[in-house]
Amino acid sequence: MIYLDSAATTLQKPQQVARATAWAVNHLSTPGRGSHPAAARAAQIAYHCRTLAGDLFDCPPEQVVFTFNATHGLNIAIKSLVPPGGRVVISGYEHNAVTRPLYGLGARVAVAEAPLFDSEEMLRAFEHLIVPGTDAVICTQVSNVFGFVLPIEKIAQLCRWRGVPLIVDASQSAGVLPLSLRETEAAFVAMPGHKGLYGPQGTGLLLCGQEGAIPLLEGGTGSASAQPEMPDVLPDRLEAGTHNMAGIAGLLEGLRFVRRTGLSKIRTYEEDLTAAAAARLSRIAGVEVFYGGHGIQSGVLSFRMMGLDCESVGEALSTRGIAVRAGLHCAPLAHRTVGTFDTGTVRVSFSAFNTRKEVELLAREVALLARQRGFEKSDAGCK
Amino acid sequence: MVYYLIVCRSLTYAQRTAAVLERVGIAARLMRSPRIIAGDGCGYCVKLSERNLAAALTALARQGLSPKRVFLQNGDGSFREVGL
Repeated sequence: MIYLDSAATTLQKPQQVARATAWAVNHLSTPGRGSHPAAARAAQIAYHCRTLAGDLFDCPPEQVVFTFNATHGLNIAIKSLVPPGGRVVISGYEHNAVTRPLYGLGARVAVAEAPLFDSEEMLRAFEHLIVPGTDAVICTQVSNVFGFVLPIEKIAQLCRWRGVPLIVDASQSAGVLPLSLRETEAAFVAMPGHKGLYGPQGTGLLLCGQEGAIPLLEGGTGSASAQPEMPDVLPDRLEAGTHNMAGIAGLLEGLRFVRRTGLSKIRTYEEDLTAAAAARLSRIAGVEVFYGGHGIQSGVLSFRMMGLDCESVGEALSTRGIAVRAGLHCAPLAHRTVGTFDTGTVRVSFSAFNTRKEVELLAREVALLARQRGFEKSDAGCK
Repeated sequence: MVYYLIVCRSLTYAQRTAAVLERVGIAARLMRSPRIIAGDGCGYCVKLSERNLAAALTALARQGLSPKRVFLQNGDGSFREVGL
């Protein structure tokens, strides 16, 4: 199978990840739950993972909280900062992991809209909407549908100037683009462990730039046990219950892979694959490709085929051994912003393990599909 | 032997405390806080020899780490809190 759905989950991982995850099941208990070797080993693995993540995102290890995924982290962040009916500014490219909690809170949401790949207009939109009384700004660093890299450092600067806390959704950018918690002074940065950090599913990180987060779960932490309430100290405050140590052990290996390889190398490689895919697909008659260019788009690319439902394309590619994602990608807002809500798109997304050959094969199969739909022969490799 | 126990706010703080001390060459052992000094309940502390306390506190202060409490553990196993 050619796997091009890494924006959902990276499936090809460094081999150390599966090995560490399997090992953890029989060798690690839970950090903070004893002084025996299994607990001590678990504590050490968890600490190494926090430290490595802290190095990657420029924050001390105690500000790195383990979550089950990015959605979990975003829910903590949003429910800590946004009161019921509060006012929030979000980009027009947010995922349901942001919009649904806000809907549930009855928040008054102002959407910063800008054309696809227009960073300056996006910044102007935020500038216009962040007014006194805004409880929080929430912005993704990279659109999960279009790969649009939003100007997060400048938006963070704007938030600092206006004294509004910022929540960053780093779901598509963690492990690919740099992000400093210290420099952005973001209140929270949420990310999954199972995408660009190459950890297993069921892992995530929430970087906390401020104290006072409200726990979603309350319970045992192995610390301050005599207190009736959750400890006020991070990370314990947000980590009730037994840790997913198998996942954390795998995530540690994923983080080590990212550090060994280097963000810059991963980013360049994925952007090159994206550019190659965009170039090949856009030469196919009847295919519309959403491509912004190097620097403004990461390893996520959407396209549509004229006269063919996106889900049909996804299914047809699947039967040909190519895994892509079709539909609205849990981000209807992004599709509304770009004008693809009615049709959805087909999304291909890359990891460090994809190859140029796989891009060629994708283009060839899409070209075949286009020909079957009666479009002119293209030069995308279709015979 | 007499030891000092630096009681930390959490396991992660205790781990960071031990790591900072080891980086400056001070032997530090991470352990669960004895129940009698744990105060709020279960917790972690870092154990170090008597002669290293001053250097340890200096190194921790440089990293912005402030111990929650410090106890002296006497040879007979009793504890006495040390004012900072």
